[in-house]
Amino acid sequence: MKFSENGLYIEDYIKCATCGVLIYENHDQKPLTINNVTYCSQWCIDWKNARDSRRAASRQEDQFKDGPAKEDKD
Amino acid sequence: MDPVTVNILESTMVSICREMGIVLMKTAYSTIFSEALDFTCGLANMEGDLIAVADYCPSQIGGLPLLVKSCLREIPVSELEEGDIILHNDPYRGGLHTPEHTFFKPIYVEQELMGFAVAIGHIQEVGGMVPGGFCGEATEIFHEGIRIPPVKIKKRGKDNLEVWKLLLANVRTPRTNFGDLSALIAAVDLGESRSVQTIEKYGKALFAETIKDLLDYSERRMRAELRAIPDGIYRFKDNIESDGVDEGRTYVIEVEAHKTGDEIIIDYYGSSPQAKGPINATLGVATSAAYNAVLHMTDPSIPRNSGCFRPIRVLAPPGTILNVDYPGPEVGGNTETHPRIVGTILGAMANAVPSRTMAAEGGTHSNFVFGGVDAETGDYFICYDIAGVGWGGRSFADGNDGVDSINGNCRPTPIEVFETRFPWRVEFLAFDTDSGGAGKFRGGVGYTKQMICLNDEVTCSQMTDRHLFAPWGLHEGKPGGLGATLILKAASETWQNVREAYGKKSTSRYSNITIRKGDRIRLASPGGGGFGNPGDRDRSLVLNDVLQGYVSSAAAEREYDFKAKAV
Repeated sequence: MKFSENGLYIEDYIKCATCGVLIYENHDQKPLTINNVTYCSQWCIDWKNARDSRRAASRQEDQFKDGPAKEDKD
Repeated sequence: MDPVTVNILESTMVSICREMGIVLMKTAYSTIFSEALDFTCGLANMEGDLIAVADYCPSQIGGLPLLVKSCLREIPVSELEEGDIILHNDPYRGGLHTPEHTFFKPIYVEQELMGFAVAIGHIQEVGGMVPGGFCGEATEIFHEGIRIPPVKIKKRGKDNLEVWKLLLANVRTPRTNFGDLSALIAAVDLGESRSVQTIEKYGKALFAETIKDLLDYSERRMRAELRAIPDGIYRFKDNIESDGVDEGRTYVIEVEAHKTGDEIIIDYYGSSPQAKGPINATLGVATSAAYNAVLHMTDPSIPRNSGCFRPIRVLAPPGTILNVDYPGPEVGGNTETHPRIVGTILGAMANAVPSRTMAAEGGTHSNFVFGGVDAETGDYFICYDIAGVGWGGRSFADGNDGVDSINGNCRPTPIEVFETRFPWRVEFLAFDTDSGGAGKFRGGVGYTKQMICLNDEVTCSQMTDRHLFAPWGLHEGKPGGLGATLILKAASETWQNVREAYGKKSTSRYSNITIRKGDRIRLASPGGGGFGNPGDRDRSLVLNDVLQGYVSSAAAEREYDFKAKAV
């Protein structure tokens, strides 16, 4: 969370893109930014990558089960 | 670890939390506290971890540590003094929803901070667009009432009058709010003084060491429970029928539960982007719902504290209905979306632990709120009225009938109290025959309350669910019955839903309809889904259902192939 310079209001709510926790500026958290996306930890980056791979593999598997894509006869 | 001391101290602290709740119940002005018990009282350590809690409202238990920790980031321990009390309700900083007000008071023993006494309560009137806080058509947080960042409502034991004035200027019922807020303060005052007595009795060092042991013990117990669940990735989806704003649009809750060894990760990735209307959950709600679901699947004798949450990790992507971004509306997230998240997690785990999951429950608290000026007294009145629902059938028993939804544990207000406090006459309140889904173990039944308005006019709003999508059954069990809200205007002979009567976009979520003297309203709550094949139900149970009126003869024949007349 980014507070205004006078500390009276919040200018930006910064959250981890994977787990959604608030990331406070000037606290002990050390956020990581990749491709302009902020994460709270390396664990969350690894989880996101593993999830993307798993879902991509699952989609490929589903395609294989369904057989090759059929051409549109129209 | 000395197990005897751990056990005695844990029981003592839970008793303190219960006593805090009793003080709150007995001193509050609103029926939401005095009758419904919509609050939670707990104790936290210096880091904000929950160390003990009483059995009040489960939706607030999991959120409590996040709330206290969020506040401590803004008001550090170094800025706290003896006698301070912090107030907070900001949904975007660890809060659950705008009405949920958190009070916590530091516990000092010989000038050393030892922990916090915490009370979270649902303040029924928070300003905003509608009397009663549940604006079913809100599209931003500012429609939902006053938002309070962590502030000291008491400084060194003295009221911070500027904060009080600001709070009470922004609500419709300042006198009642003053009473309810004071009751919450009384609860944390009592929690603090009892804790000081306890710590002085045991000594600071032994107390701190025992608390550490207690949290570790809960963690070990929870890990042992999780270890017994088969490893795997378990998935389930459920749908929410409306957000009250985008007509015809539905929303997905998606859960992927990764159970590995003695840990579980609940990933909500794939859930719908956040809604325009107020069904969005905050991070606190999404976290609390995951804890709630896991607690339902594990040994209830594990002491409830942050230790048992350690093996549970929650991933709630921001900007979704399970982690709302500012300034999205969120009041229904804590009441309606929370139980649906729990149900979705239980659905995901249904094949892994069938004996500890259940079919879908009603998944709503009805949340019928109303307010107006009493024609006799001239006073402004407000009420948040909760209704029970049918719970899902289980592997060993039917679902509970007419009980508050899984995250509430609240009590519906008794008719006598309701009629005394508010200008309605309740014409009937009865269980709804056939609303429990058929199954080897049937779903619990919902109920209908019908009442007639006695005031010149009352402004009503509602945030409920299950008017379109019935609670699902499990393992061949059938869906439970739908809920409904119907109005019969005094000059009419036709019951209508609010879409027909007032042109609202949703029948289950709406704001500020005017009910006049002589108008009637009928609130029906959904039943629970059935568990197991109805054909496997014990015939004597079906007969009993028919005799008791839970199931009609026609439904007995249709769903169970049971001819009641032949018996």
